[in-house]
Order: sequence, then structure tokens, then C-alpha cells
Amino acid sequence: MTTEDPHDATPRRWGVLVVEDDSRARAFFETSVQRSPQLFWLGSAGTVSEALGWLARTATIPDVLLVDLGMPDGTGLDVIRDAVARFPGCEPLVVSVFGDEENVLASIEAGAVGYIHKDAAPEDIAQTIVEMKAGASPISPMIARRVLAKYRSLQSASVPGTAEPEAAPDAGERALLSAREHEVLTLIARGFSYAEIARLKGLSVHTVQTHIKNLYGKLAVHSKSEAVFEATRLGLLSRSG
Amino acid sequence: MLRILRGRLPAMPIASWLLLLVLALCSGWAGGAHAADAPIELRSGIVTTAVDGVLRSEPVELSYHWDRQHRGRSGFASFDLPFKLAVAPNTPWGIFIPRTGNVFEVELNGALLQVYGDLSKGNGADYAKAPIYVPVPGELLRAGENHLLIRIHADSARRAGLSRVFIGPADPVRNGLFEPAYAWRFTASVLLTAFSLVVGAIALALWLTQVDATTAGQPRRDGIYLWAALAECCWAIRVADGVITEPPLPWVPWGVLMAACYAGWAASAMMFCYHLADWGRTARTRWLRWPLLAVVLGTVVSTTLALQREEPIWLTGWLAIEIVVIAVFVGAFVGSTARRPSAERLLVAAAALLTLAFGVRDWLVIRLSDAYGETTWVRYSSVFFGIALLLIVLRRFRAASVAARGAVRTLAERVAQRERELASTYAELERAARDQARTHERERILRDMHDGVGSHISSAIRQLQSGQTSSEELLRTLRDSMDQLKLSIDSIHLPPGDVGALLAAFRYRLEPRLATAEIALDWAVDEVTPVAHLDAHGMRQLQFLLFEAISNVLQHARARVLRLEACMEGTAVALRVIDDGRGFDASRPPRSLAERAGAIGARLALESRPGRTVVQLVFD
Repeated sequence: MTTEDPHDATPRRWGVLVVEDDSRARAFFETSVQRSPQLFWLGSAGTVSEALGWLARTATIPDVLLVDLGMPDGTGLDVIRDAVARFPGCEPLVVSVFGDEENVLASIEAGAVGYIHKDAAPEDIAQTIVEMKAGASPISPMIARRVLAKYRSLQSASVPGTAEPEAAPDAGERALLSAREHEVLTLIARGFSYAEIARLKGLSVHTVQTHIKNLYGKLAVHSKSEAVFEATRLGLLSRSG
Repeated sequence: MLRILRGRLPAMPIASWLLLLVLALCSGWAGGAHAADAPIELRSGIVTTAVDGVLRSEPVELSYHWDRQHRGRSGFASFDLPFKLAVAPNTPWGIFIPRTGNVFEVELNGALLQVYGDLSKGNGADYAKAPIYVPVPGELLRAGENHLLIRIHADSARRAGLSRVFIGPADPVRNGLFEPAYAWRFTASVLLTAFSLVVGAIALALWLTQVDATTAGQPRRDGIYLWAALAECCWAIRVADGVITEPPLPWVPWGVLMAACYAGWAASAMMFCYHLADWGRTARTRWLRWPLLAVVLGTVVSTTLALQREEPIWLTGWLAIEIVVIAVFVGAFVGSTARRPSAERLLVAAAALLTLAFGVRDWLVIRLSDAYGETTWVRYSSVFFGIALLLIVLRRFRAASVAARGAVRTLAERVAQRERELASTYAELERAARDQARTHERERILRDMHDGVGSHISSAIRQLQSGQTSSEELLRTLRDSMDQLKLSIDSIHLPPGDVGALLAAFRYRLEPRLATAEIALDWAVDEVTPVAHLDAHGMRQLQFLLFEAISNVLQHARARVLRLEACMEGTAVALRVIDDGRGFDASRPPRSLAERAGAIGARLALESRPGRTVVQLVFD
């Protein structure tokens, strides 16, 4: 995946927290982070409860959170949710072996802004983190396809007359995808790289990346509003509240 | 000669006498003080008859039954009925004649009061059927002796004659005597006719509409309705005769018709019993119909003989036989009912017994006794048959509606049962389909692991065991294994036939490898239509095929650019992997490539020369 260099002339250093139950993988990540001049190591946690405890106690706000989903005492999704709720500036990345759509989409909806492959080279890991902080967000064609499919089903469900306007969960849902985002996503789903898309559409790669990163944010917001909508529909929350 | 009515009840309905008694009490007649105001019953006088040109005068005690006095002969009779009055009344009086005929005239003290019919004609009108009331102007009566003269023309066998006669003040005679008698004789006949017609029409409608289509063969109608309709129809005509003074036919055919209707009613009523007793079902009892036919035919023959020969004995005798036949039939029916009682049969058996008793009574009174002015009782008992039929219909309707409700309930239960069975069958099928899908998926994953990651890991093990492999080679094998695993996971979500999605995912997975090998990727993938016959397994095979093609480029070609093409060629989808490497001997394509292409129904074409190698797949 080709990305542009960060625009920031004097790059600041980003503090990284790793949540991973495999000690070798933890060591591997630590090595990767330590090697990068733009990153510094905050620490690591081997269980969900340990990570939640760290987040509750920390005085240093983590800039980046690397989270493995499969933890011995729960799911890394809980850590992502807790981290973004406590520290809005914290950007979680999911550590995924396969980058498969189910896990990645669930993470994005929990608040993650991207993912890294566990089998990536150490320098690639640091590179991905730095690029992410500079505005890049990776997205696979399979995930793009899933997002488009979800968008289509939402659109057909909100055809006028089929649902009351106030029954729609949130205005954010209707505006889930802008026309440009839709175009970009469609091309990603067809296998085009960011650079190719930028060329085809006369955009900068950075703009394409921004579109994707925005989309990540929207997916997380949408997933929250969808939960609120579901809860309201089920009578768990009052509408006025 | 003159006798004031004193509690001796002539043959009149009891109700008439009760009414008369009440009227008499009201007028103070019981004390005898105003004898002149009470009706006077004229019971005796002088009769002068003319039969076959022979004139004869003799004292007479009424009633006078012509057929008993002049068997088989018609003629004239003149009854002089004297009576005395203490004082001449100054109010209108009236004469009540319960029965006289067949045609007659009434004269009082020499003044002609009324003429009924033409005395010169015989076998025509019959005024003996209804009671007669003749108003008497008060001034015609005088103190002392008065004479009432009634002249009749009597036909043979038509119940001609003269009953006792009542004369008195108009009010008690008309209202107390005539009106009730008229009501019983005339009005009752009209009502009975109407009732019979209504019941007959209902029975006929039931016979026409209640068709049992459940039995095999021709649709069956219920015989009891037809016979009830016939019986009521015959009876309506027979009873209607009571109000027809001038029949539309000459006397003999009319008389035969009336007798036939009577016999027809009796026979039909018995056929009604026959069907009710289910005698038609077995050959042993089926013959019982024929005596009933004989009853009707015999009546026609005997009545014709009796009327044409003017010998009433033929009819009287035949009626006796008929009564015996009917009695035997009724007895059999009662016996059958006793053996297999049901509300319907018990009801009809009671009506049949009562009617038989009335029939015997009527035969004795009308055909044998000298009583005159009597009316038949059977006409009233016939109503029981009509009521019995209506009750039967009501009971059957109720039974049918209960059965229908039960049937609906049973049907609903059966439908619910079927639905449950269907639901369980459907659930079972669904479970089986799920199991099958799971089995297929397992087989696919196993195959996948065997062909993909399994084969790569076993290669890695062999490489390690040989001890001759470089760590770079080993890493490549393991990376291949990892990539295969990722492709395998991707393939789970790939829509079947969507080659575009497959290529996109493929690029995403393998591009880092190309970048590492410093091979530039030229992405020339158009939008292509889904390939119809490419299922999940086919998609995976295509992944293997492309993976192998690209692996070959990575390992052997020393290429700088790899171009992936997808486009439509007409309706066919064409895929090409093109590299600018050193090429290979295209006449000997790798066997696995050819095999996989064959397995997914794609045409494989290879073209290779240094600088350009094309692996092409076309899905037609």
C-alpha cells in the first residue's frame, strides 16, 4: 500500500501501548516500536483486565493502541471501546493475523482506525503506525465491499415511505457515505490502490486516505447510533432521553 | 213433531255444542221461560220421495240418509217439517241445515227462501259438503203451526239426504250453530288443504335439493321426502273437494279421482313409513311396496264400478280390504319401530296408528252406519303426518348442523395436525440441509487445507529435513503457506462467480510479495460480469490457479512487471497474467494449471517467449 510521507516537518513522537497475550509477539512489537524514532514504548498488557487497569491508572495518554482481539479473559474490542471513550485522541489499531473482514469491521465499529498484520515485517509495523498517525488508514477490497453492501442495505431500508423519518437512527446514517467516499470505496473494492484511485479521480493520495479515515470514524459513529436506535426500539432507552 | 232442544246431542262437534250451551244459558233458555227464543230442532216430518217414477210418502225421523234408503238409486225427496210457535217472532230468524243435498231448495210456509243448484239435473253440483244457513224474514213465521219444506235432488253414492234442521232466532242459530259447524267443515278444509300444500311443497323442495352425492353411482335422493310430498299433494286435493260444490269433472271421473287421491294419500303415507323403516334396503322387505300399488289400483277399479253401476258395495267392500292392508302395514311398521325405535319412527308410528283408528271409524260411520251429516276424522289426523315430517326435517337439520360443526372442527384439527407435520418435516429438511451444507463446508475446508496451507507446510518440513534449503527459501514457503491461508479465508466471503472481487482480494494479499520481489504490478482489471457456473469450490480453484501462475513468475521469471488483465470478450470473461520475464516452454504447460482450468470449466491458453509470457483463462 503506497502512502505519502507525513506533511509535518518536525514530527512528534507517538506513545504506543500494546495489548497482546503472546509474549513473543509483545517482544516483537516492542522491538518494532523501539526501532522507530517517531514512536516510543508506553508499555504492554497481556490480558483485557490488565489493559483496562492500565488505561484507568495511566497519566500518559497513549497516542496509539495496538490490540490483539483474542485475549484469554475477553475480547480486545472492550479495550478499544474503553480507550477511545477515555482518550478521544487515542487511535487504536487492531493486530490481525489475517486481516479478515469480520474481525476488522467489528474493530472499526468499536473505534479502531486501522489494522496491522501480525506477520508484517518489524519495520512495516512501525511504518503503518506512523502513516496512520499521519492520516492513512488501510482498507482491504473485501472490507470495502462489505461496507458498500451495508450501505446499500441501509439505503434500501430508508426508502421514503417505508420507514418514519424519525425512526431512522441518526442523520449520520443517511450521510454514511458521501458521493466521493462511495466512488473511492467502489474502486478499492475493485482492487485499485490509493495511488491508482488518486490518479483516476484527480485527487491526491492524501485526500484518498482522508476519505478512508473519515469513513472509519463514520462507521464507528454509525455503529454507536445503530446500537442506540436498537436500544430505543427495544424500549431499553427512552426516546427523549 | 216439534221438540225443543234438550241436551240430546246430535252428531255435531263437541265445541259447537258447548258454544250453543253457553249461548242458551245466556239467553235464559235453560229455565224454559222464553222457549220461543231458543233454536228449535226439527227431527221429524213427512217425506215424499220420487224414485224411478214411484212416489211415496211416509213419516220420517231425521237424519235421512238417501243411500241407505234407496241403495244405488237417484231421485227426489221433499221433506215437510212442521213446527209450532207460541207467538210470531218479530225478529229475523234463520235456518241451519248441517247437511243436505245434493241440490235442494228451501221453502217456508209456502214461500221459497233459497235454491241451491238445479233440481232438474243430477250428478252435477253437490251442496251437501258445507253446512247451510238460510235467513228467514220474521214476518214469514206465524204463531201456531209452520211448515218448512226442503226439496232435494239426491244422487246415488254422493251422501245425499237431510240431517236434522234447526230453526230459531238468527243470532243463536247463525252464530251459535252455523258458524262453528261451517268453520269445522268448510274453513277446516281450506286450512287443511293449505297446510298440506305447504308441507307437500317443502317435502318436494327437500326431495329435489337434498341429494346424497357421497355414495357411489348415481346421486341418491331421500325417498321419504318424495312420498311425503305425494301424500300431502293427494291429501290437499282430497280435502279441497270438501269446498268444491261444483266439481270441474263429471261426477264419476271426479268421484274416482277423489277416491284415488284418498288411496294415493294412504299408500304414499305408507311408503313414507316404508322408507323410514329402511325396508327398501333389503330384498326381504322390498316387496312391501306392491300391496300399496294394489291399494291405489284397486280403489280406482272399485270406485269406478261402484259409481258406474251405482252399487256402493264395491267401494265399501274394497275400502274394507284397503283398511286391512293398511292395518297390516301399519302393524309391521309399529313392530319394526318397537325393534329399532327412534324419535322419528315413534312419532310416525303414533300418527299412523291414530290415522288407522280414525280410518276405521270413518269407514264404519260413513260407509256402514245410517248416521248422516257426519264428517271424516281422518282429515284431521292427516295433519299429524305433516307435523311428523316437519319434525323429522328439523331433527335431521339439527343433526346435520351438529355433524357439520363436528366436521369443521375435525377438519380444523386435521389441518392443524398437517401443519404441525409439515412444520416438523420442514424443520427436519432444514436441519438436513444445514447438516449437508456443514458437511460440504468441512469437505471444502479439508480440501483447501490439503491443497493449500497443508501442502506448503509439508514442503517446509521437507525443506527443513533435507538440510539443504536456505532460510530464504524456507521463508518463502512459509509465506506462501500464510498467503494461502489468507486467500482461503477471503474465499469464504467471496460471492460465487464474482471474479472481480476475487482478483481485488488476490491483489491485496499478494501485492506485498510482488513489491518485495521488486516487480511492478500493472492493474488492468475491468468490471466483468459474474461467471455463472463458478461456485465456492470453483472460486477457490481459480485462486489456486492464479496463485500458482504468480508464484511461477515470482520464482522463475525474473520479471520486472506483472500485468493482471480482466475483460469481457463478448459474453465471455477473460483473465490474463502477463509478465515480461524470460519465458518458458509453453508447449509443456504445468500439469496442475491445466487440471485446475479443466475443473472450473475455463479454457487455458499459454503463450511464452522471452519478454512476454501470457497465461490466459477464458470463461465462456
